[in-house]
Amino acid sequence: MKLKVYRYQEGMEYPEYDSFEVEREPGLTVLGALLQIQEQLDDSLSFRYSCRGAVCGTCAMLINKVPALACRTQIEPLLKGDLQVSLFPYPGAEETVPWDAKKEVLIEPLPHMAVIKDLMVDMDKFFEYYHFIQPVFKPSDINPEKERLMDPQDVKKLEEYTSCILCAACFGACPVEGENPEYLGPAALAKLYRFHIDPREEDTSRLKIADIPPGWWACDSIGNCLRVCPKKVPPIKAINLAREELNEKK
Amino acid sequence: MIHEYEVVIIGGGLAGLRAALQVFDAGVDVAVISKVNPLRSHSVAAQGGMNASLGNVRGPEGSVDTWKNHAYDTVKGSDYLADQDAVEIMCREAPLSVIELEHLGTVWSRLENGKIAQRPFGGAGFPRTCYAADRTGHNALHTLYEQVNHRKIPIYEEFFVTSLIRNQERCTGCTALEFLKGEIHGFIAKAVLMATGGFGRIFNKSTNALINTGDGQALALRAGVPLKDMEFVQFHPTTLYGTNILITEGARGEGGMLLNKRGERFMEKYAPGSLDLAPRDVVARSIEEEIAQKRGFEGDYVQLDLRHIGAERIKERLPGIRQISMDFAGIDPVNDPIPVQPGQHYSMGGIDVDINGQTILPGLYAAGECACISVHGANRLGGNSILETVVFGRLVADKIIEDINDLATPPKKQVEKGIKTSKNHLEKIIQSKGLENQFNIKNMLNKTMSTKFGIFRKEDGMLKGLGDIHKMQEIVSTVSIKNKELELNHALIRLLELQGMLHVAESVAISAIERRESRGSHKRTDFPERNDENFLKHTLVKGEAGNMVVSYSPVQLGMFEPEERVY
Ligand SMILES: Cc1cc2nc3c(=O)[nH]c(=O)nc-3n(C[C@H](O)[C@H](O)[C@H](O)COP(=O)(O)OP(=O)(O)OC[C@H]3O[C@@H](n4cnc5c(N)ncnc54)[C@H](O)[C@@H]3O)c2cc1C
Ligand code: SF4
Ligand code: FES
Repeated sequence: MKLKVYRYQEGMEYPEYDSFEVEREPGLTVLGALLQIQEQLDDSLSFRYSCRGAVCGTCAMLINKVPALACRTQIEPLLKGDLQVSLFPYPGAEETVPWDAKKEVLIEPLPHMAVIKDLMVDMDKFFEYYHFIQPVFKPSDINPEKERLMDPQDVKKLEEYTSCILCAACFGACPVEGENPEYLGPAALAKLYRFHIDPREEDTSRLKIADIPPGWWACDSIGNCLRVCPKKVPPIKAINLAREELNEKK
Repeated sequence: MIHEYEVVIIGGGLAGLRAALQVFDAGVDVAVISKVNPLRSHSVAAQGGMNASLGNVRGPEGSVDTWKNHAYDTVKGSDYLADQDAVEIMCREAPLSVIELEHLGTVWSRLENGKIAQRPFGGAGFPRTCYAADRTGHNALHTLYEQVNHRKIPIYEEFFVTSLIRNQERCTGCTALEFLKGEIHGFIAKAVLMATGGFGRIFNKSTNALINTGDGQALALRAGVPLKDMEFVQFHPTTLYGTNILITEGARGEGGMLLNKRGERFMEKYAPGSLDLAPRDVVARSIEEEIAQKRGFEGDYVQLDLRHIGAERIKERLPGIRQISMDFAGIDPVNDPIPVQPGQHYSMGGIDVDINGQTILPGLYAAGECACISVHGANRLGGNSILETVVFGRLVADKIIEDINDLATPPKKQVEKGIKTSKNHLEKIIQSKGLENQFNIKNMLNKTMSTKFGIFRKEDGMLKGLGDIHKMQEIVSTVSIKNKELELNHALIRLLELQGMLHVAESVAISAIERRESRGSHKRTDFPERNDENFLKHTLVKGEAGNMVVSYSPVQLGMFEPEERVY
């Protein structure tokens, strides 16, 4: 089976696409196929990985025009068309090269971030926005001896957001991000909301950090983020709830 | 480029980040070096939880858990090879460490009364394991990362450490390859803390992240520091058939049952007292035995049945496990049993340190999975490892803080020399014109380790394995890589990893051959019994690749006398 892979290196005017023939194995994932290429065909191919089990958030890339974790995406069902995710079209995932979805898998770097080499992108912007929302717990009581109590129902609500692995798939799937590179993006906003609703938090003005045009208000509720998130984090829900709350206070 | 800090921490997992917070908060100048973004460290994958005798959930007949119970289970689980003074510290500090994470922001799963929830785990007499659904490591690591960033502690990420710097009498820093630029940096430090995690990837079928290649253990060996108890490698009984992604012990903690091809709950035979929740070594061997007796399924696996637990509870407590089963095996555990087989999971052995986390080389410390402070002995209990990372991440940092004033600022000379040596080493690799493909050697190594040093071991097989490792060490020097750039060169990184892996593999092999008994995870078919008279002692290995020597050191007993282990 074939993989069509985006190749780029500093100094190249345009990226190129290389086709690789990889060996079929039951359950072969995109990451497995990329490793096969690195090991047997072309050891200069660059991509990031770590856990290979969809928990560390390292290997997000554009697979058949959809941002996804390479280690979680299996090749067979892709070729059969079973894994199709229909996204609202956006410039980051426009047509780039001809490719036959039944015969080959198209692999490209995540949109909205500068390409360092091949499938490796510069995550600095994504993390800059993450840092911007001040992702750190600010508790009301300092250093008590005992655990604070938490209602399991509150924990359930929090868990919707704490499960984010910062893979940036949502960021790379967001049409708004393409138009407005200042937009903080779904992951950072969801993270901010996670701290806001933590019942142990003291800082009640957290939502204000993103009460700026490229913050809560930039989202167009398109929903690509939801469709691609491997952890089912609902940024749009957070954004809408935050907006409601901020509007009430105004 | 040369950087100078008082303390350099190598590794950004739970151990490294916890230590970084401690050192920074004491006003000591510190930096973290990590070969990946710290959030991508293996710690993020820990699922089931962290042990602490909080006593939030009552035990048998309403009894309340204590640190001493925890210590007893740990020592018994270790097959009496753990150092009991270290175990005592870990178990005493456990409740504080869980609560400390809670105060830093970790969201733990809760009981109806709002307290931190606890679940039963293998080999434990009480429901002691605190958890965050099945994302415990994720929640804890993200919390520590948030705190480290908040303090603006410098992190050198995608920096691959290539050597430790030592002068005659102490460790004075390290060198690292900046992946993106292909440049060698030197780090001068009064103290270096190794927190580089495990070496699972020397084996086939491992639950570990692909980056767990034992670099830290190899660096220590090369700096003349011994490794301890390397023969004790944990095989987890339940890894997903095919990819060997971990299916947490929490799944059995919630009531999951192991079944063979005939649908029998075979653990009734092997551990009638604790059934599926016997310790890992016992369950892993039982599964292998079933497979050997042809009662496994085609392809060598058994089934883990969760169906009776019910959809609601599976979704609430084991959502990640359900997702993994759906993504990687195409089955939903609500409706179908999960195909599982044993796989390499954890390294009990590691860099030899004393109770303070100090190696024999002054200025060099180690904590977390790369270290062997010996709380796990011959077999680790589930939930004790991420506990170890945060407890000793903090305590070893305290020791460093205490020592730092007595350590003089090291001279630049050695680090300059170290940079040169590292550069030459890389140049040599780049220029090599050999024919051998490094990945074939890696595959050979993986196979050798799993077949010769797997769950069951025997002298002749192991000797053959050791011979093969020596051969691989020779041919690895004839490898060439096609990519000739220094920057952004994954092939180069992977070759550096492989060179270290071969060195670490040799240490495992030699230690295992020399231990002529069965204890914990080290099961020898030619010496099936535990032999306290000759082997109630730690193995130490030291030396260059191809030239390793074994010695022994005593086990710290104290609270609990060795007994036969029955479950
Ligand atoms: C799937 C799985 C589930 C687990 N679940 C549990 C559980 O529920 N409970 C439990 O107690 N334990 C669990 N464990 C064990 C536990 O997760 C690990 O032992 C623990 O996380 C190790 O943490 P650490 O900080 O020592 O190392 P790691 O988290 O492995 O971090 C190592 C760090 O070192 C860095 N590093 C390595 N080499 C180099 C180099 N050459 N240069 C620079 N940096 C380097 C890496 O980048 C990384 O940042 C689990 C293990 C596995 C495999
Ligand atoms: S919200 Fe989902 S897609 Fe976005 S970074 Fe987090 S886990 Fe990835
Ligand atoms: S490698 Fe960790 S998410 Fe894919």
